[in-house]
Amino acid sequence: MSDVQYTPRELLACVAARLIKDGESVFVGTGLPLVGALLAKKMHAPNMMAIYECGAVDPEPRVLPWSVSCSWTTYKAPILLSMSSVFGHSRAGYADVGFLGGAQIDMYGNINATCIGDYEHPKVRLTGSGGANDIASLCERVIFMGLHLPERLPERVDYITTPGYLDGPGARERAGLVGGGPWRVITHLGVMGFDEETCRMKLISYHPGVTPEVIQQFTGFELIIPDDVVETPKPTEEELRILREEVDPCQLFCF
Amino acid sequence: MSHANDRLFDHKLAREWKLKKSRAEKDKRMTLQEAIATFVEDGDSIVETGFAYVRGPMAAYWEIGRQQKKNLVGIFTPGGMNTAWHEFGGLEGAHVAYVGVEMRGLISPFRRGVEAGTLKIYSEWSHGALSLALRAAEQGVNYVACKSMLGTDLMRTNPYVKEAKDPWTGEPVCLVPAMYPDVAIFHVHHADKYGNSRIWGPSVNDTAIAIAARKVIVTCERIVSSEDIRANPYQVIIPHYCVDAVCEVPYGAYPGDMPGMYYFDRRLQERVVRLEWKTKESTKEWYEKYILGTKDHYEMIQIIAEEEGMNVLEYMKRLEQLSCDASYFGLGYWGVGGERDWKYEEVAKRAI
Repeated sequence: MSDVQYTPRELLACVAARLIKDGESVFVGTGLPLVGALLAKKMHAPNMMAIYECGAVDPEPRVLPWSVSCSWTTYKAPILLSMSSVFGHSRAGYADVGFLGGAQIDMYGNINATCIGDYEHPKVRLTGSGGANDIASLCERVIFMGLHLPERLPERVDYITTPGYLDGPGARERAGLVGGGPWRVITHLGVMGFDEETCRMKLISYHPGVTPEVIQQFTGFELIIPDDVVETPKPTEEELRILREEVDPCQLFCF
Repeated sequence: MSHANDRLFDHKLAREWKLKKSRAEKDKRMTLQEAIATFVEDGDSIVETGFAYVRGPMAAYWEIGRQQKKNLVGIFTPGGMNTAWHEFGGLEGAHVAYVGVEMRGLISPFRRGVEAGTLKIYSEWSHGALSLALRAAEQGVNYVACKSMLGTDLMRTNPYVKEAKDPWTGEPVCLVPAMYPDVAIFHVHHADKYGNSRIWGPSVNDTAIAIAARKVIVTCERIVSSEDIRANPYQVIIPHYCVDAVCEVPYGAYPGDMPGMYYFDRRLQERVVRLEWKTKESTKEWYEKYILGTKDHYEMIQIIAEEEGMNVLEYMKRLEQLSCDASYFGLGYWGVGGERDWKYEEVAKRAI
C-alpha cells in the first residue's frame, strides 16, 4: 500500500471525495468538483444527491462528463428542473454542500473567477461566476478545490466573484448571505479549513511528501498552522482503481 | 434606434410588443436563412438558450455569422462559441454570468475582446441572479429579491441590480429586475409548425426566456404534428404564441450536445478552443473557412466529416453513438492542444 503511485490531481480528487458524506446533497460546480463528486458517489457515498445548475438533480453519471449540463451528467436524473429552481431549492435548504473550483481563493475563502488584474483592464479575463456565486451564497457549507500556488492563493483576490467570509468575522451576516460559507479548501498540497474566530484559512492536513513549511511557501498569505496538523492519508488502491477505470478512464482530468 | 440596453429592462415596451403578436395557430415554418434575416437585427440583444454548448442553437448562430449581423449584445447564462462573432464585429458587448467551456477552459475570442477593451461587459451576474431576471419577466413581476451576489464585486460591476433592505426582516437582499432580451433562438427536439416545442434533458432557462424575449426563433431536430404535441404536452417547454419562426434544422446543436440524440464533437471543440481560435488571425481563418465559406450548416458538417476521414453519415452516427453509450470512447481528444491552464510541470519544478 505504501508504494501506491498517483498523480497530484488524483490525490486531489480522492481527498475531495472523502469529504462528501453519504446521504448529503451536493451542489456540484464544474471542473474538478465533478471528479470528486463522481468518485464519492461510486465509493462511500452512493446515496449522495448531486445537484447541477442546469436543473438536473440526483443523476447517475457513469463517467466524467464535459459539462455540468451535458447528457452524460444528467444521465438517469429522476427530475430535470430549471436553473432558477435548483438555486431556489438550495436557498430553501436542500443543498448541504457546495463544491467549487476557481482561479483564486484568498485567506477569507473569497473566490475569483472573473479576472486577473484590474477589472477595467484585466490581464486575463476569466469565465465569470456561472453558478459559483449562488452555490457559495446559498449552500450550507462550501468546499473549494484547486491548485496550490502563491498567485492562486493571494492575501486578497483581485475580484470577489464568489463570497467566502468577505473581509472577516461577521461579514457574511452583515452582507445578508444565507449559507455558512467556506468549510474546506483542498489543493494538491494539503487540506485547509477556516479558523472559527478570525475566519482565516488554516492548515488541517498536508499531503504525503509535503510539509507545512512547503505549503506556507506556496501560499500568498500567512496560513494559520495549528499544532495538530496531520498527514493526509494516501489514496487507496481501491480509490485509484475506481477513479482511473470508472470515473475518468480517458484521463480527462486526472493525468 | 436606441441601444439594446435601453430596451432590456423596459417592461412597458416588452408588453406592447407582445400585445401585437398573433395568437393564431399560424404556420410559421421557414428556412433558417429567412428566420435569421427577418428576426435578428443589427444591434439586438440576444440571449443564450439551453446551456450554451448543450442544446444550443449552433446552426442559427453560425447563420448569424454568415449573414454578418453587426453589434449584437450577448446575454450569457452561460455563453459559448458564439462569442467568436466578436472578431467580425458581430458582438459589441455582453451581460455575462459565464462565458467559457467549463473543463475546456476559456474562449479566446471573448477573452481577447474583453482584455483589449473592444468587447464591452455591461454587467456581471451570477447564473442564479440572471436566471431570476429572466424568470421575473416570465412570472410577471417587476423584480425579484434574492440572496445571490451580495457582498461581492458582482454587485459593484452590475449597474442593474440593487441592494435593498427586506421590508419585513430588514435583512439585505439583492433586487434583480425583470429582463426582456430582443431575440432568443432555441434548439429543441420536436416542434409543431406553430412553434410548440418539446425537449428532452434540462430546460435550463428556456421557458422563462421564451416569454421574456420579444422575438423568438425555434429551430428543431424534427417538425412533428400538432396532434402529437397535444397528445403529449409534458415535455413542451415553449408555447406557440411567443414563437415567430419555426425552422427544421436537424443536427442544429452541432458541435454541441443534443440530449439523447448526439454528443459533442469533443475533438473538434477541443481543437477549436485550444488551437484554432488561439489568435485573432487563426480565428479569422477558421471562420472564413467553416462559416463564411460554407453555404449552410450541412456544408460545414460535411467539410469537418471529410477532415475526419468519414462521410457525413458515418460521422454523425459516431456522435449519436457517443450520446447513447457513455462508455464508448471512440473520439479520443487527448493529444490535441497539449496546453493546460494548470501549469503542472511548473508546479513540479518549483516543488523540487
